[in-house]
Amino acid sequence: MDAQKVDLFIMTNGKYFESHQLLHIRERLLQMDDSKWGILQTLQFKDPTTILIVSLLGGGLGIDRFMIGDTGLGVGKLLTCGGFGIWTIIDWFLIMGVTREKNLAQLQQVLY
Amino acid sequence: MTFSRNKLYTVLLTACTAGYAWIFFSFDRMQSGSRAPDVCLMKQIVHIPCPSCGSSRAVLALVQGHVLQSVSINPFGLIIALIMLIAPVWILWDIAGRKHSFLHFYRQVEKLLKQPALALPLILFVLINWVWNITKGL
Repeated sequence: MDAQKVDLFIMTNGKYFESHQLLHIRERLLQMDDSKWGILQTLQFKDPTTILIVSLLGGGLGIDRFMIGDTGLGVGKLLTCGGFGIWTIIDWFLIMGVTREKNLAQLQQVLY
Repeated sequence: MTFSRNKLYTVLLTACTAGYAWIFFSFDRMQSGSRAPDVCLMKQIVHIPCPSCGSSRAVLALVQGHVLQSVSINPFGLIIALIMLIAPVWILWDIAGRKHSFLHFYRQVEKLLKQPALALPLILFVLINWVWNITKGL
């Protein structure tokens, strides 16, 4: 794919991924066929900051986990008062990383 | 995160063990006439019960055979009791036979719960239960 397009993608979507993954993503995108640019543009990534805000406000009900697609864990969190509150607090620190992992998994479906 | 088989089984077995320990602790407290401390973060901070407040009491009522009383405290108790009864046995069965049946079931349920036709009524059920919890003053 054209280096200009790849850089545009990295600039607009860089915040949705871990910084150490960006170099690898860039390399993969450069090798990718130009025909996939359209699909790449339609991908909707979850914003880690938004999920963190949701986690701070509704983490006790598991809403953060539901939002990133971890339905099973969301149900678990909801049924246990947010894992007795402990899981809620742990997730305040983990959820941004998990969201970025989810975004990468979503991108990988197009890349591979 | 997409759970691998071993990770999911470890998390669930740990959660179930913690759940059983908590139920035994609460039961012990109940026998001696006192109540287990409130562990709900939301109830401690804003003094409003969360949708699953009262689940421990509901499970304890179930243990004593009072099904109707359990449902009237919190219907979630029934769901939790079912998960706590079935999940460990199924997981241990899977581990013993080196199978993946519970993992497949878990993924199927996750997929099913994401469908709006099922998700919306369930969200409504949780909200109604929450309002009920608040009016009951759990």
